[in-house]
Amino acid sequence: MRIYRPYLFPALLILLGMILSILLWIGALPDLLISLRIDLGNVIFILDLILAACWLALVYTRSRSRQQAVARVISQAADEKRRFLRRLDHELKNPLTAIRAGLANLAETHLEDLQRQALASVEAQTLRLSRLSSDLRKLAELETRPLERTAVNVSEMLQEAFTLAQDQPNAAHRSLKLTTPQAPWPLPSIQGDRDLLFLAVHNLLDNAIKFTPPGGTIEMRGFEDGSALVIEVADTGQGIAEDELAHVGEELYRGRGARGIPGNGLGLSLVQAIINLHGGKVSIRSREGKGTVVTLKLPVN
Amino acid sequence: MEKKPKILLVDDESAITANLAPILERAGLVVAVADDGEAALQKAAEFGPDLVILDILMPKMDGREVLRRLRHDGNWTPVILLTQVGDSVERAMALEEGADDYLNKPFDPHELVARIRAVLRRARPGQPPLSTAARLVCKDLAFDRRSKRAWLAGEELTLTPKALVLLEYMMTHPDELLTRERLLDVVWGWDYPVGTRATDTRVAELRRALKDDAINPSYIETVPGQGYRFVGEVRTQDAA
Repeated sequence: MRIYRPYLFPALLILLGMILSILLWIGALPDLLISLRIDLGNVIFILDLILAACWLALVYTRSRSRQQAVARVISQAADEKRRFLRRLDHELKNPLTAIRAGLANLAETHLEDLQRQALASVEAQTLRLSRLSSDLRKLAELETRPLERTAVNVSEMLQEAFTLAQDQPNAAHRSLKLTTPQAPWPLPSIQGDRDLLFLAVHNLLDNAIKFTPPGGTIEMRGFEDGSALVIEVADTGQGIAEDELAHVGEELYRGRGARGIPGNGLGLSLVQAIINLHGGKVSIRSREGKGTVVTLKLPVN
Repeated sequence: MEKKPKILLVDDESAITANLAPILERAGLVVAVADDGEAALQKAAEFGPDLVILDILMPKMDGREVLRRLRHDGNWTPVILLTQVGDSVERAMALEEGADDYLNKPFDPHELVARIRAVLRRARPGQPPLSTAARLVCKDLAFDRRSKRAWLAGEELTLTPKALVLLEYMMTHPDELLTRERLLDVVWGWDYPVGTRATDTRVAELRRALKDDAINPSYIETVPGQGYRFVGEVRTQDAA
């Protein structure tokens, strides 16, 4: 109801003008005015309309500028977040370089079994941090790098990502399926960056495999829907709780169910950034304990 | 006995130099350390290194400025830049300004040793490295570094920007085994899922453009299971 309120007054004004004009027209007003009724009626109605239009325009511009201000605040917040992530990445790089060199030196010394174990575990954790730094850089670079567009054969790209996923050791004991249409015609090619689109699909499959226990099913589908090419990656995994669904695309967000599963919470942010660059949309449906389907919609040109 | 190569290691983070120096020494290199740009120029003159490892982000004078001054003074000592910003523009600039190679932080220290060896092997003492040349020529192939254009037998090649980046890197690093991971790093600057055909498709694009035969290559050779190698002899040529 609140959004209609600014328009209430100009609407009343129009109504009033119309009533007044009609009254004049049918001669329900004092004799003095009757001789002038046609002209006066029109003039009042037109003046009234002009006033109402000005009012409407004013109200509309105000709400527009308010919307723009809101959009500005949101984009400023996004910029700030990017800058923060970039700085975080910078601050990680030097210590990580030093730690990796230090560990390489340590590995060359004589170590007891227990020390070797500790070293191996610290090395693994350092690599994990290095990966985080690398993923942060990917996100930052996606913002600045111009998109290189070539014709991408989507069927072939999906097939490659699928084969790579099947070869993963984690994929064992899970049923993986890929469906792409052959009839009436195969998937159209789209203009885009093949490497990036591949990375997006690869990340989705990776996630699906990670969050699906043995015995589960992972399906990837490609199809056409009007002027969009749709890629779906669905799984019968643990699913995402309703209250977490809105947050899974946020940088570094990790759901309750993701604890104990390797990852840094940047995978889906990357997918989103890549699909946005291509003018597409990402959506997620999930039921806890049932599974998840991530849908990518890409415009076909 | 062959003389041990001398390396000047420049980084303002003492934690990095302190940990990297022993690794380089174990690899049979003599190491001197400088912790800012001005000290680096001074040490470069006194110590006479065979190769300089140069961090980009440093107080007083940054690594790029050090590199520019070295090259301006006609000092062609090979340089490996340690990049930090890591974006593609930065990496392309590193090569254009006359670095021989670059490595993104954080890196595997053994990878640094491998790069040092490759650069030392390629170095031609006292002569400008390939990476500083304005124009590279190999058989019928010519590459203009400034305009980022390439010609085969006088005819300009139409290549995607990524294929051009790849070709430039291969031509400035001839006769060197370039692993798929490294080429992905050249094109993307960050690790990309291994096992993909991302590099292979680019190389295929280059081969098509260069009319190169994969079985009997005159430019790009496949090293089975490992990567690629640019086999042609690359000469420098001053731009016309």
